[in-house]
Amino acid sequence: MKLLEFEAKELFREEGIRIPRGVVVRKGEDLPAGVADLGDQVVVKAQVDVGGRGKAGGVMMADAGNAGETVHHLFNTPIKGVPVNSVLVEERLPIEHEYYVSIAIDRSQKQPVILFAETGGVHIEETARTNPKAIRKVTFSPLLSDIPEFLLRELAGNVQAGVRDVVNRLYHVFCKRDALLAEINPLVTTPNGVYAADAKLIIDDNALARQGIAVNRDLTEREKEAEVHGFSYVELDGTIGVIGNGAGLTMATLDLIDHFKGRAANFLDVGGGADQERVKYAVRLVAGMPSVRVIIVNLLGGITRCDEVARGIIEAGVSQEVIVRLAGTNEEEGQRLLAGRGYRMLESMDEAVRAAVEAAA
Amino acid sequence: MIYGDRTDGTIVWGATGRQGSFHINLMNEYARSVGGRGVVAGVTPGKGGQEVCGVPVYNSAREALSEQDASTAVIFVPAGAAGDAIMEAAHAGLDLAVAITEHIPVHDAMRAIAYADLMGCAVIGPNCPGLLSPGEQKLGIMPAHLATRGHVGVISRSGTLTYEVVDELTRAGIGQSTIVGIGGDPVIGQTFADVLARFEEDPQTEAVVLIGEVGGNLEEEGVRSTDMPVVAYIAGVTAPPNKRMGHAGAIIEGGEGDARSKIERLKHLGTRVASRPSEIPGILRDLR
Repeated sequence: MKLLEFEAKELFREEGIRIPRGVVVRKGEDLPAGVADLGDQVVVKAQVDVGGRGKAGGVMMADAGNAGETVHHLFNTPIKGVPVNSVLVEERLPIEHEYYVSIAIDRSQKQPVILFAETGGVHIEETARTNPKAIRKVTFSPLLSDIPEFLLRELAGNVQAGVRDVVNRLYHVFCKRDALLAEINPLVTTPNGVYAADAKLIIDDNALARQGIAVNRDLTEREKEAEVHGFSYVELDGTIGVIGNGAGLTMATLDLIDHFKGRAANFLDVGGGADQERVKYAVRLVAGMPSVRVIIVNLLGGITRCDEVARGIIEAGVSQEVIVRLAGTNEEEGQRLLAGRGYRMLESMDEAVRAAVEAAA
Repeated sequence: MIYGDRTDGTIVWGATGRQGSFHINLMNEYARSVGGRGVVAGVTPGKGGQEVCGVPVYNSAREALSEQDASTAVIFVPAGAAGDAIMEAAHAGLDLAVAITEHIPVHDAMRAIAYADLMGCAVIGPNCPGLLSPGEQKLGIMPAHLATRGHVGVISRSGTLTYEVVDELTRAGIGQSTIVGIGGDPVIGQTFADVLARFEEDPQTEAVVLIGEVGGNLEEEGVRSTDMPVVAYIAGVTAPPNKRMGHAGAIIEGGEGDARSKIERLKHLGTRVASRPSEIPGILRDLR
């Protein structure tokens, strides 16, 4: 999960990284008195999870006198369609130089990877394209608790030591906070020291509980219900409802629908142990989408009991046609139960998907 | 037989849990049917002295190995404890740790795999179904009845999709040498390249089916590293960007690793790519 800038900055600050003085304003609140202490000139930043926020108009300069108007303006201006619910007002730093640093996980090395550039700021993506050599990169063993000095020199040997210190502190945040990405762009030098002028932190969803982070996403009612049942669920815009077990098999089912020129209405992975209750909820959930004309249930596994799955489908009792492809134990019993109720049960994935595409046409 | 054979003894972490005990039974049933040793011990801290499905449970790997001879581990413990279990298995000197557990925080997996690497222990997974060498050895949760012994190796990031492909192969009369589920997480131990290197050394394996997904570039890396004849299938062609389709690894990050460009890169490397699972047996026959 991606944290908002002000949330990330707070975690950076706890690790000893300097951040600009600032105050957070939430929609509907008055401008806090603290704004007056930020100096004559301030930066007003929309707190939205949008890439290229600055270029999209989400970051504005203001004088202390008109900060309130600027904040008000941002609240009323969605950034790339995303509504603004909080705004960060910060002191404007006397910037000498802007650097770029990020730490992520290199999947093929299975190690942390650190990127550093001597010219940070809003043009970093362009730099990556036009002058990739300007971005230095190192990977190293995740068993180390600090970035070794020689690697810091390799990354940023010719810049001031304070910058290297922040890079190492950022690595501490990365490890301690179970981050998938920790980024400072720009990391700025000023006469008063080195600051993280911006902050990006993406936390591993598998670590949210131990990080004490409550998930707060914009979910549809059905997506919320799917989460309660532990389904992996994504809504799409077609007419064929899809229920599978396992992410790979379910994705392959969507791809096969596309192959036969149909359009899937959703992705729903019921996970392991597809029992009667879970199947019932899954079928009802998918059937509840008004766009769904037909549902395909594609379940495969050694421990899936076909008779249980069949009972779940029957109990769901939905109005749409349900096409079933089941392989597991008690296959014949499952088939017998379904056949009597007008459900179609097909042996191969190709047959089942083709039948679903025809039924939806 | 690329990671071991029927003579290996296995220790199961999380033996006293529901999943652990269920699969100890299936693994030992399989071991009996092929004349192998199967699971010889379980490890659950605090439950030493108990027995699960006739298998003695110990408090630690050290205790287990003082009484039992074993070289492989299968790990079923909950996500928060799984990184530690992998390190314990490696530290105890086991050669192979198969981590079935899903939802392990990626930092835990990364550190545990790095430590296992130092100790000379190969890690398969996490978030994987394990491996199956038909007629020889089953480590993990793959349904054995779908597989049949033969000469095609299978490597997959997925669970049930692997069963689908194995089922297609068996129905088409194409047997398998070893089937390895390497796991769907962003950081995994054995990669396509690692498993392919083992298949190259394996006289039983003549060709390999590689089942990939959206995300990352491990599939291309694997194909580039090998001379084995490979047929690939990549799931997730229709996956919308930045949506998580279940596996943590199966998420497209800003265009990197989307299925269509992955397929293009594989084709560019000379790999035959099936557009659906049912095409795989036909392409394999063409290759021979």
